[in-house]
Amino acid sequence: MDKAARAAGLHAGQKATDAMALVPGLVTAEAEPEADAAALTALVDWAVRYSPAVAPDAPDGLFLDIAGVSHLWGGEAELVADFRARLAANGLYFRCAVADTPGAAWALAHHGKGAEIIAPPNGQADLLAYLPPAALRLEPQAAAQMERLGLRLLFQIIGLPRAPLARRFGKQTLIRLDQAMGRADEALTFRRPPHPWFARLAFFEPISALEDLQRVSFDVAAKLCARLEREGHGAKRFVIAFHRVDGKALPLTIGLSLAGRDPVRIAKLLAPKLETIDPDFGIDVVTLEAEAVEPVSGRQVRLDTSTEAAVEDGLAPLVDRLTNRLGEGRVWKAAPVASHVPEQSSRHAAPLKPATGGGWNPEAPRPLRLFRQPEPLENVMALTPDDPPRQFQWRKRVHRVLQAEGPERIGAEWWRADIDTISVSHVRDYYRVEDQEGARFWVFREGLYSAGAEARWWLHGVFG
Amino acid sequence: MSGFRDGRLAALKAKIAALEAGGRADSESLPFGTPQIDDCFLGGGLALGQWHEFTGAGMEVETAASPAAFAALVAAPLAQRGEAVWVLRRDDLFAPGLAGLGFPAERLIQVCARDEAEALAIAEDALASVGVAAVFAEVEAVDLTAGRRLQLACEKRGSTGFVIRRRPYGGQERKTASGSAAATRWKIAPAASQPGPGEFGLGPPRWRVELERCRGGRTGAWLMEAQTAFTWEAGHGPHPLRLVAELGDRQLASAEPVRLSA
Repeated sequence: MDKAARAAGLHAGQKATDAMALVPGLVTAEAEPEADAAALTALVDWAVRYSPAVAPDAPDGLFLDIAGVSHLWGGEAELVADFRARLAANGLYFRCAVADTPGAAWALAHHGKGAEIIAPPNGQADLLAYLPPAALRLEPQAAAQMERLGLRLLFQIIGLPRAPLARRFGKQTLIRLDQAMGRADEALTFRRPPHPWFARLAFFEPISALEDLQRVSFDVAAKLCARLEREGHGAKRFVIAFHRVDGKALPLTIGLSLAGRDPVRIAKLLAPKLETIDPDFGIDVVTLEAEAVEPVSGRQVRLDTSTEAAVEDGLAPLVDRLTNRLGEGRVWKAAPVASHVPEQSSRHAAPLKPATGGGWNPEAPRPLRLFRQPEPLENVMALTPDDPPRQFQWRKRVHRVLQAEGPERIGAEWWRADIDTISVSHVRDYYRVEDQEGARFWVFREGLYSAGAEARWWLHGVFG
Repeated sequence: MSGFRDGRLAALKAKIAALEAGGRADSESLPFGTPQIDDCFLGGGLALGQWHEFTGAGMEVETAASPAAFAALVAAPLAQRGEAVWVLRRDDLFAPGLAGLGFPAERLIQVCARDEAEALAIAEDALASVGVAAVFAEVEAVDLTAGRRLQLACEKRGSTGFVIRRRPYGGQERKTASGSAAATRWKIAPAASQPGPGEFGLGPPRWRVELERCRGGRTGAWLMEAQTAFTWEAGHGPHPLRLVAELGDRQLASAEPVRLSA
């Protein structure tokens, strides 16, 4: 109902013939409750971007539980502004209200003054006081009764004794009032996106033997994988939960490096972890959930069978075994990073990712072992301040340098930081030096030469 | 008579070779491309489908940089056949350094184990996997049982193990078993490099390489060089290691009269 319609004298609930009489050229459309409900459901699914808990309020409203999420937008006002802006961009004009309770928010959104009301914490009583009783979501006869008795504003009702109020208008009225004021809880039916990748097995008798757990973990995996296979999907993570008789659920998680749906492999990865499950009095339900589900093409005969087959049959299971045994981050492949800073020029990448083009410059010698923290050198002797060292002491051993190469000056990457933080103190002059035994080291001098200050030397790595 | 003797000898040698190969008829080898070195091995090169041990000396027992570099270069031609797995106890292997030496770091999966037993178990697991051509394991010591297990894992798929002996920082030296199931044992020490004529700085990295033990073959000592390291040709040559000089054979050297000096 927009402004133009209201100006023409139309209102919701008006008879179509009356409306036609007021506005002769009115275009009417059949009401489609199912389509409206479907649109509302779509809106609920969209609103999940603001809060994980969204409940539809048929026929034309939404409840969003924004407790603990509004700070992500910078505050409740910012969240509401963003919400409204996005809806307005789609041609949807909403009245929004933020309050402590769903009841108060509903009342303010439907009957409050203004399209956007944010009630301060515990401040809903003042805002609700001058709203009509209909704002409490009362049953029609109770609302009509109140109207007849001259109770036109809520503050008149709030002050009434509770027992007579309940007797006269029904218990529901009292509950609605308490829900709006925050004295009673209200259960909203939040819409959860259906989680389709889920399988469940229940047993007549509780099981507890390890062999049984192994068998049922394979059975439930086979059940889920059959569905994944049918619908052309695979998953990278599987969460199995053993539900004990006493109601406790014991979850286990395994990960795959490539999305898969082979129950034998899943059961194999689960097997070593099953020992940690304490069945207690027995397990009567087992559930398996697939996460990170993605489309996986079916089994395909490849022309270059030699390399691809190896990844599918050998490497992927090996990487999965190791990752599940050691934990994430302990299995990796080094990938180049475009950075001059040595310790940042290599990063840990997924072990089965195909190698990307580019690489490290082979003409810039880098050590085979790079220490995470450069180690300080003592008693360094150099001929002139910007010469390589002639002798240094590292780990209580004196090394005489016979040959040296350098310097390779590596500065801070000024383009990554603010202009104010740039300074020459983050310059390192790297030298490749060889001692009397032929051992090769990568040493650097910190900062530029300044008279009076002693140069500080560090050892960053050893060449083979 | 002499012909008969030679025939018997050849038959015996073949029998021993078959036993050494553990029943595998097709025991492959990886030649160095230098006859002086290749002649030391039974199969004309470093035996594949077995595991080899690389140790350092002095400072290297804790950093194990030279043995690791040498093992990587020995294994570099293998990386074309499949992935390589490097089992670490300490995450300090620097991939750009490996790439500079000429080892294809993009084919290397690195695994960081939490303790010695786990590192050996991972190495065993990786050796027995399809698609893995070479496995490097940085461990402190391999006892006879673990060595035998590694050997069995190697024989499963014909992949080759490279065990790099490395003591954890600050740790006490562990008593090592006298025997070893390794096919070969190498002792690698860095050697002074020689820059090319008219060049400054350091030359290509060099190592003093001692083949201390070689099952079915002879031992030897050489000075070797990674001639293409830190150039654009790294990793594209026939074999990344080049023989610079033959060092005195220790067995022969000990037979000579030792001149004692003050």
